[in-house]
Amino acid sequence: MGTFILRRGVQAVLVLLVATLVIFLATFALGDPFASTGEKVVPPQVQAINRAKFGLDKPLPIQYLTYLGNLVHLDFGIDFDQRRQVSSMLAETLPNTIRLALVAILIDVLIGVVAGVIAAVKRYSFWDVLVTVLSTLAIGIPTFVIGIVLVGFVSGSWIFPVVPRSFTVQVPWYQEVLLPAFTLAIIDAAFIARLMRGSMLEVLRSDYIRTARAKGLSERTVIGKHAMRNSMIPVVTYVGISLGILLGGAIITETIFQYNGIGYLLARAIQNSNVPVIIAVVVVSVLIFVLLSLVVDILYAFLDPRIRLD
Amino acid sequence: MESMSRTRAAGVAVALVAVVGLVLTGCSQRSNDGAPDNGQSAIGFPETQLQPPVPGKPGGTFRFALVEPTAIDPYNAQESEGVLVTHNLFTELVSVDANGKVSPAAANSWTPNGDCSQWTFDLKQGTTFHNGEPVDAAAFKRGWERAAAKSAASDVAYHMNEIQGFDAMQTGTANALAGVNAGNPGQLVVTLARADCEFYLRTYQTVFSPVPTTAGAADNQSYNDQPIGNGPFMMDGPWQHNRGIRLKRFESYTAGPKANLDAVEITIVPGGQGAVQAEYDGFVNGTFDWARLPTPLLTRARSSYEPRGEWLSKKTNGINYLLPMVTTVPLNNVPARQAVSLAINRAAISQGVFQGSATPADSFVPPVFPEAYQPGVCTVCSYDPQRAKQLAQQAGLTPGSTINFQFNTGGGHEEWTAAVAQELKDNLGLNVNYNGVPFVDLLKNEQAPGASGLFRSAWSADYPTPGNYLQPLLSTAAIGTTDPSRPVTGDNRGRYSNPAFDQLLAQAAATKDDAARTKLYQQAEQIAIGQDLAEIPLWFRQAYRLADTQQFGNVNLDFSENPTLAQITVK
Repeated sequence: MGTFILRRGVQAVLVLLVATLVIFLATFALGDPFASTGEKVVPPQVQAINRAKFGLDKPLPIQYLTYLGNLVHLDFGIDFDQRRQVSSMLAETLPNTIRLALVAILIDVLIGVVAGVIAAVKRYSFWDVLVTVLSTLAIGIPTFVIGIVLVGFVSGSWIFPVVPRSFTVQVPWYQEVLLPAFTLAIIDAAFIARLMRGSMLEVLRSDYIRTARAKGLSERTVIGKHAMRNSMIPVVTYVGISLGILLGGAIITETIFQYNGIGYLLARAIQNSNVPVIIAVVVVSVLIFVLLSLVVDILYAFLDPRIRLD
Repeated sequence: MESMSRTRAAGVAVALVAVVGLVLTGCSQRSNDGAPDNGQSAIGFPETQLQPPVPGKPGGTFRFALVEPTAIDPYNAQESEGVLVTHNLFTELVSVDANGKVSPAAANSWTPNGDCSQWTFDLKQGTTFHNGEPVDAAAFKRGWERAAAKSAASDVAYHMNEIQGFDAMQTGTANALAGVNAGNPGQLVVTLARADCEFYLRTYQTVFSPVPTTAGAADNQSYNDQPIGNGPFMMDGPWQHNRGIRLKRFESYTAGPKANLDAVEITIVPGGQGAVQAEYDGFVNGTFDWARLPTPLLTRARSSYEPRGEWLSKKTNGINYLLPMVTTVPLNNVPARQAVSLAINRAAISQGVFQGSATPADSFVPPVFPEAYQPGVCTVCSYDPQRAKQLAQQAGLTPGSTINFQFNTGGGHEEWTAAVAQELKDNLGLNVNYNGVPFVDLLKNEQAPGASGLFRSAWSADYPTPGNYLQPLLSTAAIGTTDPSRPVTGDNRGRYSNPAFDQLLAQAAATKDDAARTKLYQQAEQIAIGQDLAEIPLWFRQAYRLADTQQFGNVNLDFSENPTLAQITVK
């Protein structure tokens, strides 16, 4: 286990290096961040002073190494636009994104697993067909459509806050998070239901389930304990990846709901070529993703004793 | 490349829609065809009367939405959102009313010396910052130097570029503004490196605000987020980024009339096309007391809100125009530019694209400057396709010749530019190379040596003077280079140059008397627009707002199109 984690740690550092380099180079495609973007020309002296302030007058390799050096101290620098500490921008938004991602995952695992198990156990029944039809529908409708429809028709009614609303109207976090989380969860729930159904059907055919039934265990124990645990493996893989993606910020959904997470932060940063913010969000997403895939691998061993990590 | 062609395809699609719309709405305009209209037809929504002053009853919270500003600290407040907040937190030396009239603010009076190279501002006595610190000459010097320092890398400090010692601060060789003397606390003496009889107008810019000693350097983030100023309102807690800003009345304000409102709540909404819609939605659902409107909803909103007195309409500081490249074929001669101008049916496009809300322009200096405005100084801003054809013939702009016409995408300019392009095709038989590009590229293409044809443009003045329309856009100095093979570095991207015009502007800058100076500006406009048509005026800028006048009195649009927060009262 120790060597496994160590090996994965080294891999993570490599992934991070490659990711920062790629994003660093890619941001140059965004063009000069200090070029004029309004009707009035930014005087050349002002552009030069800005470049000097942000170190863009130095050669590219120096810029990259400086950035890496600062990153080691968790210093993400200041942003081009508002000149705020990027780390404080992350601190404001990342907790919101984590909250949103966790609630979304909770919703989609609950719906997905229950629907998948029912569909598998009651194969070819009305419920099975219903799950198949609904999941096809959910996978087919783009997330932004669901988001816009929810903002248009559900926001403002019952416990769901209005968009836009005055910032002084205090809304409990769960009220704010429910609709965007549901928007994100729908498509994942559909995938999970299908994965769960397929893998459950396969497990139910296996020898040890027959053995368990032969032992005289109740159907509830057979399904709930023996079959469920093993058929969760594809679901865990999927949830791990999905959580990683959600924690990297749900750009479209967060923007539609004006939800102050890192996805929304990234969307705005891309709009104004705000490179320090873009890089920081990417670094954080990569870190989270690497960490999560490690957790998922460890979970495999826990769920299926036949899997060895080392 | 791919995105370019996609943009073009989208442009064409929009163009088609617009043209169909024009044909449809144009039917009612048929009778006008061929007959010159005077440019001042009934097209354009009328301005609404100012809300009459109501005896001030203090109280109330005024709520509206803004896009997240870049900064609300005067050292770097720049776009209208940031400037709105900063102007309410800080009181500068002078103030400007809704009609561009200058009046005393933190200064009681200002006097230039003989050649306008030195200015003395007499400050109001006993005014303080929100934290009780006195506002004296040193506070102004401190604020100006804080913004001018190289390390501040301010985007707006260039407004101080006439002040002696400014360049040294920008290069980092000095840490004080040599031209600013605060020796006497009640008197600020400013020496200019370049004499300017209108210098005092510049001091209305927020970058000229005073700051208290607690402000520290420009990178003091706690001050950036909660600036302590000397204005009618003060911060009520720090700026909550991407959420909101709350202001409350400054009770000890003595630099002018105290504000009536208890508080101002500014909710931050996402930028882009959705911002205006969010403001409007918020007004309709009662979240906001003030809102802009999406253009497609103008007519509908006007008909429902105007009868209730909740509709504000005001001609403001700005002009929309076409920028012709006057040194390259085909627009390097006056008849060619006049032909283009006469071929555009401004009234029909206003009707077809802007629902009649855009007022056709007949001058370049807009009517927001009533003394300087010269109705009809553009003699060819009417629609006269016959004369346009004759002039085009004379200029060699024969049917089939090619003309470039570029606009920037994503700014809502697709429809009307498409309509203009179509009219140039229909009325002059030109082969219009019509092209939408991102804004950054549009500027680059305008600046490039050898640029030709027409570019979509708009302008609003930084300082409330007609000179700020003429000098930066049309003076020879504002080209920034004398070499035609080098890109333009100033705002005169059409490379117009006329010594007689330059001479008049120089004379104006050296003229102390307002009326005499205005006369000179008018003569200059007669040359650049009346005679040379160096820009092709299209529409005057006009702003529309919804305001909750049931609950609030004195709600008006100020010179920068913002609500007059300091005057608002509760009914």
